[in-house]
Amino acid sequence: MADTAIWNFRQLAHHELDGFGGIGEGMSIQIAKDGRRVLWLAHESAPKNFTAVDVSDPRSPRIVARADLPQSHMRSNSLETVGDLMAVAYQTKEHGQQPAGFELFDISVPEKPRSICFFDCSGAHSRGVHQLWFADGEYIHMSSGAPDFTPTHPKDDQFYRVFDIKNPSKPVEVGRWWLPGTRQGDSEPPPKRHPEGADTGFRPHNTNVYPERPDRAYLGYIDGGLIILDISDKGHPKMISRWDYHPPYHGFTHTVVPFFDRNLLIVSDECVRIEGGDWPKLVWIVDGRTETNPVPIATCPLPPLDAFQRRGGRYGAHNLYENLPKPNTWKSETIVLATFFNGGLRAYDTSNPYQPQEVGYFVPAAPERSPTGAIQINDVFVDERQVVYTVDRHVGGLYTLEMDF
Amino acid sequence: MLAASTRLRWTSETGPFGRRQRRPRGPRLPVIAVTGFLGSGKTTLIRALLEKPEGANTAVIVNEYGEIGIDNALLRSSSDVTVLLGNGCLCCNIRTDLQETLRELFADRARGAVPSFERIVIETSGLADPGPVLQTFATDRGLGREFYLQALVAVIDALGGEGNLARMPEARKQLALADRIVVSKSDLAEPAASERLVERIAALSTAPVTVAVNGEISPSFLLDEPLSMPTRLDRGDADVEHTHGLCSFSLFFEQPLCWASFEQVMAVLTALRGPDLLRVKGLIAVQECQGPVVVQFVQHIAHPPVELEDWPGTDRQSRLVFITRDLPREPVAQLFASVAQIAGPATPR
Repeated sequence: MADTAIWNFRQLAHHELDGFGGIGEGMSIQIAKDGRRVLWLAHESAPKNFTAVDVSDPRSPRIVARADLPQSHMRSNSLETVGDLMAVAYQTKEHGQQPAGFELFDISVPEKPRSICFFDCSGAHSRGVHQLWFADGEYIHMSSGAPDFTPTHPKDDQFYRVFDIKNPSKPVEVGRWWLPGTRQGDSEPPPKRHPEGADTGFRPHNTNVYPERPDRAYLGYIDGGLIILDISDKGHPKMISRWDYHPPYHGFTHTVVPFFDRNLLIVSDECVRIEGGDWPKLVWIVDGRTETNPVPIATCPLPPLDAFQRRGGRYGAHNLYENLPKPNTWKSETIVLATFFNGGLRAYDTSNPYQPQEVGYFVPAAPERSPTGAIQINDVFVDERQVVYTVDRHVGGLYTLEMDF
Repeated sequence: MLAASTRLRWTSETGPFGRRQRRPRGPRLPVIAVTGFLGSGKTTLIRALLEKPEGANTAVIVNEYGEIGIDNALLRSSSDVTVLLGNGCLCCNIRTDLQETLRELFADRARGAVPSFERIVIETSGLADPGPVLQTFATDRGLGREFYLQALVAVIDALGGEGNLARMPEARKQLALADRIVVSKSDLAEPAASERLVERIAALSTAPVTVAVNGEISPSFLLDEPLSMPTRLDRGDADVEHTHGLCSFSLFFEQPLCWASFEQVMAVLTALRGPDLLRVKGLIAVQECQGPVVVQFVQHIAHPPVELEDWPGTDRQSRLVFITRDLPREPVAQLFASVAQIAGPATPR
């Protein structure tokens, strides 16, 4: 079993979250009224919903709250906080199961999250919400199914939805968009499926919207590639461009992070097969100067294939640090932080966008009781103190780090 | 974004010399080169470092296996250029060539063929002139991009060191160029001998000196990343005795320097006296930059300048340290002053 490999990061602490260390893709900082810095984490799967960790001292994180899911067929996976308001995504394993949707919480007392409302997105063809983006306190952008949405293929069951939550007790859907051809009744033909075993659906994963361009949504559209939407009229989103690089690549475009000052788009795939079965899953540098024609210009160096492919579990790209447009978050348009499952957390300097250079990595040793025999680093978040938080997908919990490059 | 502009831009994180760095080495792998005469205690010092927790994740490059005294049972392989020790450190045979060894080591690390490491310690051979090692990291673009010579450490033993300094020009040069100096074997020598040696060292170098106790020193003396630059407080002590043709002096500047002027001064010095500029290092305020700029020269070769995010302390004065052969302070200071008179106010005091 490999030891921890660390270069240009400094580990501050590791917290296994008391036996429930499987964390999904929701990581968000709240500064509580009493000044505590609370990191809210969405669990990757049942039985836990979310866990709140006091990270005021990143060398000594402490659990302050934890919630269970009502059903074992649910997962929360994604959450975001704005001030004392938290939105949590709920997705079910199968279509038609409940509860599926999203829930808003008042977290003004972190120890006692109080439900404000639950919005039902379940339906005969829906699994609910996989991911949500909540940054401005007014709108939630998400990848969700709906009771009135019948896809042309069961795997295309989620689409882009926007909710106005200015009244948090009564969310109102104000817009939606799906790739033409993926809903029954569309005049366009359904998209050509990816090959058997690599067909992961034409549906959004991350749905990022930034204050620099509030009229744009940057979607990682899984098997549909990168999609930029014009959402200046949220009721009628329009596709501006789509970069579809699969085939020959294996699909599952996950996250799109714009570097606005540099006219770059950083795009990650998600590895979804073990032992390099869908290699190479990459982090791409895309030239975004011409919005209607995104052009890939480089990829970030992957963790070495020979060393990681058979180390256990998944090997390849997944989440990026997304420059979350909120207070108490770090911003960089030069450094890319990306997670690679068993390849750990990696940092890249994109000063020269044509030749991104790896400047650091953190690959923890396999956590105890790891089902894969290797770490599976799943997501990363950085606060304005430049403290890095990264999590294991299955059992390892939370690692806090300092950047040292 | 993404519609009007037609160029890929630098960001506010990037200055004239690239991304601003937290420290001179940036993300590059730190290299610590240990010099010292045969029997001075280099091996003991390195071995002691490797046995401490702070020494974990260290790759070691030595001249001969025998010299570092590795137990053969710890070697996974005894024939390859790179071999793995049981304690997780690496040991390379430098029979071939330092540059080739370092390149292979970096490539092996990148492709996962050797365990991850975060620093390299090089043990040079006893009689080695440290100049070529310094140049290796300054001149080789491939190495300069990936590696940074963080510290040149000279080991001198209290038993024979004084004699070596008197007789051997290589010993004096090792000390003069060193960033840090370790006095070894003090437990075997008379206390007076150690004291005399430390005084003798002070006459040759302003580098920090520590005395090893039973072959051990604090790991931080080897591993920490100080800028090793004198501050104003050190000014009175900055110029050391000019013995055997070796000079060491510092220049300080009140006002930020014009980069073009600085480049021109250094161009004149390197063109006319390049071989005698054994080492020049500095931290300078440049008019066009937010943070201080780290500059280094080895003879006629200039390292790429690195702009730091911020000054390491409250002293924001530009400072340059020269280690030269037969080139004293005054003409160099005058050259800076003359160019400053023509180009702008940056006169050394």
